[in-house]
Amino acid sequence: MSADHSDLAFLSASRISALVRERTVSPVEITRVYLERIERLDSRLRAYITVVPEKALETARGAETAVMRGQPLGPLHGVPYAVKDQFDTAGVRTTSGSRILEDHVPVEDATTISRLNSAGGILLGKLNLTEFALGGTQRFPFGQPRNPWNLDHDPGGSSSGSGIAVAAGLCAASLGEDTGGSVRSPASFCGVVGLRPTWSRVSRHGSFPLSWSMDTPGPLARTVEDVAWLLQAIAGYDAKDPLSSRAPVPEYARTLADGVRGLRVGIVRELTFGPETDAEVRAAVLEAACCLGRLGAVIEEISLRLVPFAGAIFMALADADGAGVHHRWLRSRPGDYDQGTRRRLLTASLIPAAIQQRAARARALLRAEMREALGRLNLLLCPTAHEAAPPIAAARGAITGRHEVAGRFFTRRSYVTPAALAGLPAIAVPCGFTRSGLPISLQLIGRHFDEATVLRAAHAYERESEWSRRRPPGTI
Amino acid sequence: MSDLTTEQVGALAAALGLPATTDDLVEVTHRLNALIEALEPLAELPLETVEPVPGFGDAPAS
Repeated sequence: MSADHSDLAFLSASRISALVRERTVSPVEITRVYLERIERLDSRLRAYITVVPEKALETARGAETAVMRGQPLGPLHGVPYAVKDQFDTAGVRTTSGSRILEDHVPVEDATTISRLNSAGGILLGKLNLTEFALGGTQRFPFGQPRNPWNLDHDPGGSSSGSGIAVAAGLCAASLGEDTGGSVRSPASFCGVVGLRPTWSRVSRHGSFPLSWSMDTPGPLARTVEDVAWLLQAIAGYDAKDPLSSRAPVPEYARTLADGVRGLRVGIVRELTFGPETDAEVRAAVLEAACCLGRLGAVIEEISLRLVPFAGAIFMALADADGAGVHHRWLRSRPGDYDQGTRRRLLTASLIPAAIQQRAARARALLRAEMREALGRLNLLLCPTAHEAAPPIAAARGAITGRHEVAGRFFTRRSYVTPAALAGLPAIAVPCGFTRSGLPISLQLIGRHFDEATVLRAAHAYERESEWSRRRPPGTI
Repeated sequence: MSDLTTEQVGALAAALGLPATTDDLVEVTHRLNALIEALEPLAELPLETVEPVPGFGDAPAS
């Protein structure tokens, strides 16, 4: 394949859309580029569970006809995208990463999918994930997803394929779902941008549930601008999701370049300076904070005393919700679950009510703590993860003692679950690389429904840095 | 709360009709005890005055 094709594959979604409009690139041509790359690279990366080449090319031909006829074009016209296999796609199987649903073919698109298609997107396929969007899968039923920066390392989850495919140039952008970090973690480990919108900002209709009060679809892309465009396409009230918000959706692109001058940004001490945070991660995140300061933001430190408990609080609540969702299958088909998933759901099924109540009340306090901080500050800043992507082998095997549980589950979740528990928007943006060549990620958390400020600050930082321009080895 | 034993965890699972292997029960016991231990310090907080609701109805930022 030519270098030109590789360059096309790594263009931003907004650039692809512009080239399609000006008839420099045809939707069929760009779709073929991605399909060829998937064919060539994905046997190693395992980003996709299902690829739909015929459907994608048929959509692309329709998109090309629309361009040639001068018809009205949507904002994502001709942009090939892919989605986590947690979202229903009419006529295309939707497995949620589990053998239990390996033959499940929905008859209707999830609302997010129909909106992306209406905006002109071209669906390439369905992306790999940890089973049922829970972490801790030991054996992935549809292949072990791998980090494109180092194949022996974890790509993050649960939207694993959504991070891999964007990082490796196997789609222009993707959709994930973030209950407790499932968009931001793969974005962090794979070196791309990932946004968790405010809870209720995006319809959950047609997405396999985990936790009703935290599930939030969110976009991943190679630039903040692309994430803004995808959010624009999917945000807004949906009668099919009674909990979706009627709050007006602003034009995110309009304020994207407004800069950060005067914004008040609080560095979360517990997550940035705490002993769990890797030194290289801390240094990169603090350098990003300094960069925002040089751009005119007012930087200070803030203490949020409950965030170190967020991972355990989250697992007591979200996992219990998940146990309710899975109760019938846990009783009737336990052997069809991956061992890690089954044990996590069994655990959640047995959490004492008094412990759940304690976690729910602590969640309310954590939420109040963050709300108070964001009454004074525009943004909270911290690492997206306490370390760069760990080796896949580090999370393999049975848990042999309670000390392992904290290390595998609670610690890393405490970086991404505060925003989830509080329902706040949060973005993961690349902010550096470790000496071993793995991405490091900055997290910015904003006020309820203020995705515009989150995106604006992330965009300002991205423009000053060059991390987003790097490509994983072996993906050219 | 004192540690749960594997036997107690097995009895709870059986009462709910949840099939589990012996190895499952050993690991689930570790997981449950770890979760209970991790949330133990929160008992020191004034939680009885807090309502255990996720919290909705936040207005969009102005």
